[in-house]
Amino acid sequence: MTEKILLIDDETDFLEIMSERMSARNMQVTTASSAREGLAKATEGNFDAVVLDLRMPEMDGLETLRILKEKNPDLEVILLTGHATVKDSVEAIKMGALDLLEKPANIDILTEKIKDAQTKKMVLVEKKNEQAIRDIIASKGW
Amino acid sequence: MSDPLEPICASGLQFFGKVSASVSHELKNVLAVLNENAGLLEDLSLAAERGKPLAPEQVKRVSENFHKQIRRADDILKNMNRFAHSVDRFSAEVDLYELVSLVSVLASRLAAMRNLTFEVTKPEEPVIFKSNPFLVENLVWFCLEYAMAREGGKDPVQLIPAKKSGKIALSVVGSANFTEGYPEHFSGAAAPLAAVLGATLAVDHGNAELVVYFPDRKK
Repeated sequence: MTEKILLIDDETDFLEIMSERMSARNMQVTTASSAREGLAKATEGNFDAVVLDLRMPEMDGLETLRILKEKNPDLEVILLTGHATVKDSVEAIKMGALDLLEKPANIDILTEKIKDAQTKKMVLVEKKNEQAIRDIIASKGW
Repeated sequence: MSDPLEPICASGLQFFGKVSASVSHELKNVLAVLNENAGLLEDLSLAAERGKPLAPEQVKRVSENFHKQIRRADDILKNMNRFAHSVDRFSAEVDLYELVSLVSVLASRLAAMRNLTFEVTKPEEPVIFKSNPFLVENLVWFCLEYAMAREGGKDPVQLIPAKKSGKIALSVVGSANFTEGYPEHFSGAAAPLAAVLGATLAVDHGNAELVVYFPDRKK
């Protein structure tokens, strides 16, 4: 199944090659080279996961994560960083990130994380559908 | 009574640490791109083994990417090396344009995080004086941090080394509210640092300009 990914990183060379490699792994990739662009694109597409750089100009990854989660709490976000500190990792997980990986990242591990994100999203959608059906049944008195 | 040199030493170490941390972040970014390039090459060769013809232009593009990142890393390391060697001598000839250019490049990543750029104006005549290169770099860094804490507009902050009425001067010119909160920023370690260098700081609120004057020592 094709995963829909939004990749946000100000390092355009990284963005270009990562996008090419992910596409070759049958993922549907949208890219954004700034947090602002990423936030705009996040609202347009129904993404399975957002892969987000922690250190970016204008707005850093944690602030971007906070806004993404505020707009869509179910959206799964994986953070990438040059130097992962315990403080950043704890903060990111507290804010609802799926994981924080250190650059250079192993694409197989990243792919696994993306698949985990998609599975979580599917489970969530199923739960929501079940609840909607239960609500209909209850409202009809069946 | 505490040693008056203590804040200068602590500030110098902090400055060196900040630059090293920033450089290591930049190198990590280079490694990340190189890693993906190597991965792409691996992807292409695996596809070739499965029978997909290898396009020469793809390999050429990967090779160009490698060269680009190697040049980038080389520039970063050259600057770091120049900076590291500035502690070699306690007193040496300082070319202010060269020194300010180096410090502004070292600060460029941190500045970019704040959506800020620096522009150094080359003086018509070289502005050269004798001082402690590392301590001068540290004081210039304080000025750039001051700018980074205040600016974030689309115009670059101007760094202008010059000779002004017999003194060596570095003007840091920002936008409208640039000089607000000036004394607080320089009340810590910057004050004893400037005193040791014999440097003085002044602000021109009207022109949104901060000026550092260094004594024009030749010996």
